[in-house]
Amino acid sequence: MHFMPLFPEGLLTIIAILIVLLGALIKKSGKISAYLCLIGLILALGLVAATAFIAPPAIFFFGTVSVDIFSQFFKAVFVIVSLLIVIGSMSRYMDDPGADEFYSLLLFATVGMMVVASSIDLVTLFIGFELASLSTYAMAAFDKSKKNLEAAMKYFIFGSASSAVMLFGFSLLYGMAYTTSIEGIANAAITNFSPATIVALVFVIAGFAFKMALVPFHMWAPDTYEGAPPLVSAMLAAGSKKMGFAAAFRVILIALVALRLEWYLAFAILAAITMTLGNLAACWQNNVRRILAYSSIAQAGYIAISFVVVGAAAEMVNGYSIAQLGIAGGLLLILGHALMKTGAFIGTAQVANMVAKQSDVDPDDISHYAGLGQRAPITAFSMLIFMFALAGIPPTAGYIGKFVLFSSAIYAGLLWLAVLAILNSALSLYYYLRIVSYMYLREPIGPKMPESKGYVFALIITLIAVIWIGIFPQAFINWALQAAAVLLPQ
Amino acid sequence: MAAEVPALIYYIPLIIFMIMGAIIPIASLALVKIIAPLRPGRRKISIYEGGLSPIRDARVQYSVQYYLFAIVFVIFDVEVLFLYPWIYVYASKFMESFLVFGSMNIAVFEMLLFIIVLLIGLVYAIKKEALHWV
Repeated sequence: MHFMPLFPEGLLTIIAILIVLLGALIKKSGKISAYLCLIGLILALGLVAATAFIAPPAIFFFGTVSVDIFSQFFKAVFVIVSLLIVIGSMSRYMDDPGADEFYSLLLFATVGMMVVASSIDLVTLFIGFELASLSTYAMAAFDKSKKNLEAAMKYFIFGSASSAVMLFGFSLLYGMAYTTSIEGIANAAITNFSPATIVALVFVIAGFAFKMALVPFHMWAPDTYEGAPPLVSAMLAAGSKKMGFAAAFRVILIALVALRLEWYLAFAILAAITMTLGNLAACWQNNVRRILAYSSIAQAGYIAISFVVVGAAAEMVNGYSIAQLGIAGGLLLILGHALMKTGAFIGTAQVANMVAKQSDVDPDDISHYAGLGQRAPITAFSMLIFMFALAGIPPTAGYIGKFVLFSSAIYAGLLWLAVLAILNSALSLYYYLRIVSYMYLREPIGPKMPESKGYVFALIITLIAVIWIGIFPQAFINWALQAAAVLLPQ
Repeated sequence: MAAEVPALIYYIPLIIFMIMGAIIPIASLALVKIIAPLRPGRRKISIYEGGLSPIRDARVQYSVQYYLFAIVFVIFDVEVLFLYPWIYVYASKFMESFLVFGSMNIAVFEMLLFIIVLLIGLVYAIKKEALHWV
């Protein structure tokens, strides 16, 4: 059928609206909503997987939506993250009076991200962006505690400001090219280049950088990731942030023109500062979720290397394959990081769940992780693997992504950036191992605790996926390379 | 063939506007600082220099319910706004090539879908007692 490639989004939208209706009409709809959401996401994952290698790209709605290998890669990431969060939420939100709202917002956010991954038109891109953003603003305040509200308020204000900045950039691009199609703008920028293109791109990239949490637009991330409910933090760090990257990769077709003028150096400095600042700041934190937030900023810096590689490779003889490798590395790191961060945040949710009942102190403080290896063995072991994976130790998903990405940087002649990134990875081991040493080397501060089934199930699935990608990376590298080829002009 | 006008030309007014916009407030504030003599008194530094002393706090708290009503109102306001460009496209020659189910224009179908989604939102708002004034 003609519209077959759009079925995942359609299905999730219908289920989200259905959950809204159920929530309005039935008194206790939490359980039904959760299972509907779960089934919908599994089906959507199947549908995305069925079209994973779709070629040639299927274009819909007058050239505004393109379903191609690149979009399917990102959609798979978004759906998997949402799926893990739904599984984890089953032991947390299912009996909550507002459960239906949580699940419908989650699905709307997922659909928004999927639209962004597919959009090849600025208006579609913006609508997807806003759908995902508005849903996550509400989710960030979901537990309605004071900390939640603060986190959500910060996220909302930064997010809406960034949307305005991004929209201003879009309007400048439209003013120059008289079209909102990304390809049309790219052609116009090549044939009729003007400095205003760079001005517009700076605004657009700044708008995306808020979502990606690149320095200097990262200030909201630690506060929001710390204050929001843990599962929502997982969604923000693993899903919403990757949406920024999806949009940035799409727009990089235009940016390529500007990047040829050695503007990639600006990106290189931005990436270098982002990873260094993220890693250094993480070393001083005592709150585990803040550590994860700063590590997430550092990872955004690593992923941003792939933009630099694309820019640097544009001037080289075999630039095409290097640029392809660079984007593929970025995609692999995005996939790996999405899994690892979701897992790590679900781990913190588990710990917060265990200590929350005892005291009114900060549930994410690192002291609560003392002796976790004996108190909650499954959670602790999963956290251990995720920490190693985030640091980039083989055989995990984090290692594969970093390996491909850093080697592409070396091929592109950016030796200094690759060395800096590797040094940063070594530095990051300090704070990852600090959490591990608390979990395994300290005396336990309490008796063995029961681990919630939903969290454990989600953790185990994530654990298997992270190690699976590490041991059998060939299929994923292949997929990422083909996705990268879609983006680059032949 | 005439030479292409660089796109930047069109932005020169905008750039001038931005520069002037940045300069004027700073300049006028600085001028006031330099020129005006500063002799503050109790009446002068009060918030409204209307000669009356303020009677209470300037901040007023509105009930949060106003916002709920406002949001529901805005949804339908935007819907009407959206119908204007829609009717323009619907009546155009261009849409005549998009017929579904025999004679129904696909624009009608799409607008129905849009309004149904909005109606579901309204049903939700009513059922969750968002429009119930307490």
